[in-house]
Amino acid sequence: MAAEIGTGMVAIAAGLAIGLTGLASGLAERDVGAAAVGAITEDATLFGKTMVLMVLPETIVIFGLVVAILMIFVM
Amino acid sequence: MFGRFGKKKGNYAYTVARVKAKKSHLFKDDAYSKMLLMSLPEISRFISESGYSEEITELTGKFEGIDLIEHATYRNMAGYFKGILDVSTGELHDMLAAVLQRWDVWNLKVILRGKSFGIDPDSVREDLVPAGELALQELEKMIALETVGEVIDAYCKLTETVIPPEIMDAYKTDGVLTDIEDFLDKEYYRRLLESIDPSSKPTRLLQDYIRNEIDVVNLETLLKLKVEGVVGEQAMRFVIPNGKEIDRKTAERIAAAATVEEAMGAMSKLSFYGDIKDALADTGSLTELVSVLKKVHISQARTFSHLHPLSIIPIIDFMIHKEIEVNNIRTVARGLASGLDRDVIKDLLVVV
Repeated sequence: MAAEIGTGMVAIAAGLAIGLTGLASGLAERDVGAAAVGAITEDATLFGKTMVLMVLPETIVIFGLVVAILMIFVM
Repeated sequence: MFGRFGKKKGNYAYTVARVKAKKSHLFKDDAYSKMLLMSLPEISRFISESGYSEEITELTGKFEGIDLIEHATYRNMAGYFKGILDVSTGELHDMLAAVLQRWDVWNLKVILRGKSFGIDPDSVREDLVPAGELALQELEKMIALETVGEVIDAYCKLTETVIPPEIMDAYKTDGVLTDIEDFLDKEYYRRLLESIDPSSKPTRLLQDYIRNEIDVVNLETLLKLKVEGVVGEQAMRFVIPNGKEIDRKTAERIAAAATVEEAMGAMSKLSFYGDIKDALADTGSLTELVSVLKKVHISQARTFSHLHPLSIIPIIDFMIHKEIEVNNIRTVARGLASGLDRDVIKDLLVVV
């Protein structure tokens, strides 16, 4: 019984790790994306640089994913 | 937390990014040195290759020489400002619209001075910047009117402004526009400050910035008047209320001093006193003092824009730099057209 509760808690924690970091990535990308589109509108050559900046907030959710995987498979 | 994400708040990130990209295309200092070595047609070609192509192409058939440059530069600036206003949304759009109303006041002053001194309509058109609430067609209608009184009536109707009868009576008696122009400036700042809702950080920053601008404008006015020998209550009439550091008491102390040196004591507590101290000591040169105050104003915009990148201030900072660029091009063109010495023209340029 206790083990089952423990497994459930780990699943909830993994879900929260993915969900909350996903939300944070979304919020960060909102401003970065808007700014990137604005910059590209003025100067199309900035596409490459803005693409890199767009990807940076993605790392937040990737960290969340790593933590979730660790929780599920290691703990 | 989600307050700033509402549609009402405006698209700060998008607009500021566009403005920053635009700012990177503005002329660098060495461009003016190159222009000083050119003839007027060469300047027209040079600016048409550097962002003014649309206006130069459009106006080439109608104008040439200095007229072409003057029309193209102000039209280009108005286009930039209108473009920024068009892409902004929410409270950012509202604040920008309120800030851009200064061009309505500018245009009205240009038309009034034109009517008052009997300047021909084409020369008046050269100095119009249709970046405010009033479109070019409405300004054209105002130019076509006969008298100063009719122009003021038309403006008041379009912008819902009420000019106190005593100011109009004073104009009718002495025919001097100073009081009307002074009222228009005060009304612009009153409306602008009233339109800002200081509930968020970006709007509070704008409020602070505008109040700092009022300080710089007031100080410039008081010092100019002092050099002309106008002091005390007579000078206080021109002070715009709601400054940040220069309140009524400080303004009265500065206005009461007979000379600029005497006023230095009253100014010593101002945060930008260090920047203007040297220019104040050199009281013989009002041009230098005005130029230093302008630089203080520009550096305030720059500091504010770094303090809060996602606010209206980086946009105002760009607008100031664009205006400087346009004024510098016009100064070079006018200077060369009137045969001024290149070193004299260079001294008249504002380089930041």
